[in-house]
Amino acid sequence: MSEQAFRYLNKAVPRTEDYRLLTGYGRYLDDIEIAGALHVCFVRSPHAHARIVSVDTTGAVAMPGVVTVVTGRELAQWTTPMRVAPPIEGLVPVEIATMPIETVRFQGDLVACVVATDRYVAEDAAEQVIVEFAPLPVVTDMWQALDADAAQVDPMVPGNLVSHQTYSHGDQQSANRRAFRVIESTFHQQRQTHVPIETRGCAALWDAGRDHLTFHVGTQVPHPLRTQLAARLKLSESQVTVISPDVGGSFGQKIALYREELTVAALARHLKRPVRWREDRLENLTAAANSREDFCRTRAAVDEHGTLLALDLEMREDFGAYCFFPANYLARVVAMVLSGPYRLQDYAFDVKVVLSHKCGNAPMRAPMSITSWVMEGTMDAIARELALDPVEVRRRNLLTPEELPYRTATGELLTDITPSRTFEAVVTALEYRAFRERQQAARAAGRYLGLGLCNVVEPTTYGSRFYKAAGIPGSGHEASWIRIEPSGVVNASVGLGPSGQGYESAMANAVAEGLGVAPSSVRIHLGHTDIAPYGMGSRGARSGTAGGGALYLCALDARRKVLAIAAACLELPDDDSLRMIDARIERRSGDEWTDAGLTLGDVARRAYLDPTSLPEGLTPGLEFHLTYDPPPMTYSNSAHACEIEVDVATGAIRIERYVIAEDCGTLLNPTVVEGQQHGAVAMGLSGALFEHMRYDETGQNVTGSLADYLIVTSAELPNFEIIPLHTPSRATAAGIKGMAEGGVMGALGALTNALNDALAPFGVVADRHPLTPMMLRDLLRNKL
Amino acid sequence: MEKKSIYLSVNGARHEVHCEPRKLLSDALREDCRLTGTHVGCEHGVCGACTVLIDGRPARSCLTYAVQADEVQITTIEAVATAGRLSPLQQALHECHGLQCGFCTPGIVMTFEAYLREHPQPTEAEVREALSGNLCRCTGYQNIVRAILLAAGRMRAETAHV
Repeated sequence: MSEQAFRYLNKAVPRTEDYRLLTGYGRYLDDIEIAGALHVCFVRSPHAHARIVSVDTTGAVAMPGVVTVVTGRELAQWTTPMRVAPPIEGLVPVEIATMPIETVRFQGDLVACVVATDRYVAEDAAEQVIVEFAPLPVVTDMWQALDADAAQVDPMVPGNLVSHQTYSHGDQQSANRRAFRVIESTFHQQRQTHVPIETRGCAALWDAGRDHLTFHVGTQVPHPLRTQLAARLKLSESQVTVISPDVGGSFGQKIALYREELTVAALARHLKRPVRWREDRLENLTAAANSREDFCRTRAAVDEHGTLLALDLEMREDFGAYCFFPANYLARVVAMVLSGPYRLQDYAFDVKVVLSHKCGNAPMRAPMSITSWVMEGTMDAIARELALDPVEVRRRNLLTPEELPYRTATGELLTDITPSRTFEAVVTALEYRAFRERQQAARAAGRYLGLGLCNVVEPTTYGSRFYKAAGIPGSGHEASWIRIEPSGVVNASVGLGPSGQGYESAMANAVAEGLGVAPSSVRIHLGHTDIAPYGMGSRGARSGTAGGGALYLCALDARRKVLAIAAACLELPDDDSLRMIDARIERRSGDEWTDAGLTLGDVARRAYLDPTSLPEGLTPGLEFHLTYDPPPMTYSNSAHACEIEVDVATGAIRIERYVIAEDCGTLLNPTVVEGQQHGAVAMGLSGALFEHMRYDETGQNVTGSLADYLIVTSAELPNFEIIPLHTPSRATAAGIKGMAEGGVMGALGALTNALNDALAPFGVVADRHPLTPMMLRDLLRNKL
Repeated sequence: MEKKSIYLSVNGARHEVHCEPRKLLSDALREDCRLTGTHVGCEHGVCGACTVLIDGRPARSCLTYAVQADEVQITTIEAVATAGRLSPLQQALHECHGLQCGFCTPGIVMTFEAYLREHPQPTEAEVREALSGNLCRCTGYQNIVRAILLAAGRMRAETAHV
């Protein structure tokens, strides 16, 4: 279907969610009133690694308003541990108790849980729980984690090496021998965390009469979370309802079933009373989930013109103390898609993931964020070492349209991407040649301008065949239903878990387009496991392609039945000459479409209230259900370019311009897509410039407030200029490609490359984030 | 801790609240006045999500005790739209896609309802500076800034018209 054929897709409209959120009538977790709910507060470890010698709860339990205090011993009776042991080569299985009984593994780890009638009382009582710890040696540095005498984090992971994967394709050795040069580059990405403005939290209600748990939690994955929750409480999935209300951001932090959440659910069941928890910001920063912290080293074999002959990647990632996800899989994606839009067959990687005494990792918007920085930093290193133009080096190595589809060295199939087009668009937009002249003139005046480029090929929408190939249990399919009610209004649902991305608007467009109704007549229901179909939720930039695709295809099914009934109403032999636009049936005569005098409401009434009059073979009602399994991987692409000025005296970076050219296929709603582009780039720049989850050598987290863990504010960001260059995918429903993580990837590379361009006269290369003024001043010490 | 009786004047209505002196205004508004539009993002006074107006001026309700707000005029997000009609600022945020998850939005609306009254013709740089006290993790701020400038323009036009 061509782009022009769409009536609602690819058209920007404001969101339907906004009214309630703008007026204070959104309903987030803490806004749900639950009469008589008890509040919990967790007692957490002040040590990064310690044996729990004793827990004395008598003082706390004696306080007025305190209902009980529980420890890991009770929870071990009520719940089963989490086992992460997929059959993946090189990955060590782990098991995580609901609450530690003998040993805590990071500062902030769980020790006990206080239940009281009020949150203030619960916090008071938590201070009265007396815990005796015997501190143990710690390891907080991924470079020491593999030392023979390093402290051990997890008894199931001897030597702290939780995953080690290697791969080789082609012949690097021969390429290295042929090479004019082998150029080495390094990249250090610091530890970060998601910072949703709404922290975690949950509320559990146990219906003792029906043996049923209702669990309110802001989650990206309602059904997979329910499966986990039921299993770990030893309940069936029909005994658990998960309801996800409005969610104040997630960014990957709200996927796992966390130990705190399981504890709250178990307590509600045990006490037969509603129990709720609202995480505070200190807990969110220190004990929810961390992310990133990885190191990459590339060795690029090149000829004298900068042609990439072979590439070797060495990577190490610090996964913290607990693996709520298979520890290999975030780093694996980096290694898998590293080459991006470039021609490369001789490629090898060696990826190690280690444990340390820090809060455990979770995927964070673009878990493979470092990828494009590494590849594009390598491209710049090639240009720098060979004294070539970085634009020319990229042009030389970029895949041409004629080379597509292209099978990469890791077996990925790149198809329907347009990297040369997006790249040339940003080079033109930034007036590259003119910039070089301005840069020269500025340098002569003691001002340092820099221009950075970054091509991104963003993997999205991991299909079930990806999971199968990776050995990860799970699927990448998505499920949907559509019900046209007797009045002709439309209810629909899909198994996504929204957290602010505007799915109610975007998904209504997918239904409207497929069915032939106005988006305003479609109501999307999300986040309730008894209402929504069993889907895989929102993660990995999958919601548009998998969720939107499922709804679009389901709506096409619905339209077929509607038109078949309409044909019967109009006493036509078939529906070949019928279509539906905005819920009105139209009939073709010659080249003309005319109103057939029939509406979706008329068809619906017949389907529900007069089903004996339906054509043979059609069942009563208008209810539809469809599951959709997208390709193993879908790729969108973009090019990022930014111009900065560096004040070498202070180390301050000022972003003068930031341009993104992007191709992410058919857009469910361009308004929403633009918002995702802005948000992703902002998160990338924030990470590159400011964010740093810092632990001291004893494992104390020293970034426990948003005054210490800095995220970008409005004052530091530029306006982003977006060049839309979307072309539909031929492999997905409606041609959607997925997006919303590539912006992070592009921002890390574009900004860092711009900085190194600006600092070129000083002969220094920044190879680590965050790019703080202090870090820059260190780099320039004795160079000015 | 002994509870005290206070009166909170919120959006023109008087609420008798019986609470401990340590209870935060944000908690009293949400729990005792049942106005949950004021969100709590950090309880450290950094993120700005809990901003309300106290006697017309923005204040962080997570850094204010409820007992300190006895007998002052408090305005929360619930009072900004009137008779189902969005304020010019809310309308501009909707049109410019100036919100995503919406959790920080009430704090931003309250901050700028007050700001635009005192600064009817701000520059983009001034808006960015004023907005830097409100953290948003979703939008990258660009569309919020655009919305504030659009609202400022419309409010000036409205004033000129009157």
